[in-house]
Amino acid sequence: MSTIQIFDPALCCSSGVCGTDVDQALVNFSADIDWAVKNGAQVERFNLAQQPLAFAENTVVKGFLQRSGAEALPLILVDGEVALAGRYPLRAELVRWAGIAAPDAEAKPAGGCCSGSRCC
Amino acid sequence: MATLPMQFLDNPPPFLFFTGKGGVGKTSLACAHAVALADQGKRVLLVSTDPASNVGQVFGIEIGNHITAVNAVQGLSALEIDPQAAAQLYRDKIVGPVRGVLPDAVVRSIEEQLSGACTTEIAAFDEFTALLTDPALLDCYDHIVFDTAPTGHTIRLLQLPGAWDDFLQEGKGDSSCLGPLAGLEKQRARYHAAVEALADPQRTRLILVARAQRATLREAARTHEELAEIGLTQQYLVINGILPQQEAAHDPLAAAVYKREQQALAEMPAALQALPTDRVRLKPFNLVGLDALRHLLTEEDAFLPASAAAPTLETIHAPALSTLIDDIAANGHGLIMLMGKGGVGKTTLAAAVAVALAERGFPVHLTTSDPAAHLAETLDGTLEHLTVSRIDPLLESARYRQHVLDTKGKNLDAPGRALLEEDLRSPCTEEIAVFQAFSRAIREAGKKFVVMDTAPTGHTLLLLDATGAYHREVARQMTDPHLHFTTPMMQLQDSAQTKVLLVTLAETTPVLEAANLQADLRRAGIEPWAWIINNSLVAAQPQSRLLRQRAANELAQIDLVATQHAQRTALVPLLAEEPIGVVRLLALTRTPTDAAHPEQISTLKGSSL
Repeated sequence: MSTIQIFDPALCCSSGVCGTDVDQALVNFSADIDWAVKNGAQVERFNLAQQPLAFAENTVVKGFLQRSGAEALPLILVDGEVALAGRYPLRAELVRWAGIAAPDAEAKPAGGCCSGSRCC
Repeated sequence: MATLPMQFLDNPPPFLFFTGKGGVGKTSLACAHAVALADQGKRVLLVSTDPASNVGQVFGIEIGNHITAVNAVQGLSALEIDPQAAAQLYRDKIVGPVRGVLPDAVVRSIEEQLSGACTTEIAAFDEFTALLTDPALLDCYDHIVFDTAPTGHTIRLLQLPGAWDDFLQEGKGDSSCLGPLAGLEKQRARYHAAVEALADPQRTRLILVARAQRATLREAARTHEELAEIGLTQQYLVINGILPQQEAAHDPLAAAVYKREQQALAEMPAALQALPTDRVRLKPFNLVGLDALRHLLTEEDAFLPASAAAPTLETIHAPALSTLIDDIAANGHGLIMLMGKGGVGKTTLAAAVAVALAERGFPVHLTTSDPAAHLAETLDGTLEHLTVSRIDPLLESARYRQHVLDTKGKNLDAPGRALLEEDLRSPCTEEIAVFQAFSRAIREAGKKFVVMDTAPTGHTLLLLDATGAYHREVARQMTDPHLHFTTPMMQLQDSAQTKVLLVTLAETTPVLEAANLQADLRRAGIEPWAWIINNSLVAAQPQSRLLRQRAANELAQIDLVATQHAQRTALVPLLAEEPIGVVRLLALTRTPTDAAHPEQISTLKGSSL
């Protein structure tokens, strides 16, 4: 089974609740992740504000940050290779990468433009 | 000299915490208390977290971040903790390994995340835990006296099982305002023990310190209820710095202050009335030296400095607020934000600035978060060019919290939801909710004056702007490359558009707190345009001997503000009458000697005492 790694921008509160506005993409994504993990997906999440070493020690992530900066996060790796950057994945994408059973039709869209509200 | 029978000194448990907002005298009382206990033959450890107090200087020794015996007082040792330094150590621990490895901009963004009030608070608590949980320490000391206490928010977070589960599971990476603790997960048992010690009335007494002012008493009542709810039930109240009645006889200003204080005490919030309460009189001296400390808890009237001569106050260079307002008015429009810690008079001064600008014929929108709604009501419709609007911080925060819970909280389990709710009770959440509500008015500042009685901290602005920067980047890539973008941050950084006025009092701790706020704003590229020193006794020129001595004590702080901190300064006198209504607000912008010396206040001459 594939491992999905999510490298989040620096978030201090759960899912960035203290941002300018609650980021619905992040809200949806957190729910999607919960769902995917319950269905057997292997998912790891790293927060730039708290686990910067995980970013520095991964050459792919480190190179991405050097090229594009922290503003371009989140970055999603599948088995160590870049699968997506700049937005959070849809539930359908998680399903495909993880190779788990497809969900019912109501996979939620995750708007990509304003990820990464920050907070306190 | 006999120490008064203070109730908060009776049968003290091992741990004593003094809490209250900056400038009420927590550190002075904690020091005096520690000395009093040591004088009774107890072995006492005094723990100070107050960078303004300089406890070492008080005892004439170097203390610092290790337990040091105070030789001048038998049985007393002291320890100074600098929460800022502790927070810096924590940041270094997280950021150090990636500095030079990740791009500088990325490292800076991580550092900013870890530069908030939560990090400092948690770092200070981390320092406390060792003191609360080390049994060997209680073999050496009968009492440990702290000049501060953790907030309810911190303690509640530490009590929530969800908080721990979430970050302690490796790789899960979900985090909360407890984030700063993530690096310290091995100490979970110790945090648990520390919180238990705090909530144990046999071991811990909380001493709420307030002044006889409505705002600080309200704040004390809030702290009392919040901490009682989480188990800190053994609470005492000390009302510090009460003006003695005999001073009222000599001086209309002192009489007015006396009356105001007595009224505040009579109308004390019900929650506080049941607490064992001590009252400490206003002293003419600041906390300097052991003698002063031992006099703090006495009834003695006239502990004046050894010289005993009446103070000669030199002429100081500090214009009245009207001088600043003339400069502000020259622009014709703009955003004016008053910033400062609670209780320094931001709302009143915002109203004074707004009224003075409207009186000069400019259109002004005053927007206030005044919890009492009092000011907005008295001003609305009174001046032709002035409109007043009010936002309710509690209402705005509640609305924001509900919105987040309805969206983000929707799919969470019970522990996750509890954690989210607590995150939403953090001070920064309220700050953001309030600032969002205010930001609607900011847009008007291009054509009129918008005066706000609050401002976000630099830390919050930087975090909010990080999102803004991303928006900019997206817009740049996706649309017309020549499109001009102005972010709210750019508007705030431009002093032609926005002026931040820092409000403080001419006392040590409030000045230091304002300096910290200024440093924080500077990090966000915002330079406060001016400092306003409010409620100044020097500017009020009292007759009362006690108040004149207090006025003399202000000089050093006023000088510090003018020479070290501020680009521009204004001095606002303490008024006999509460500044309500247009006439009294306008009086705030002037000083009694304005007419004679528009640029300088020629102050008290000792000869007249």
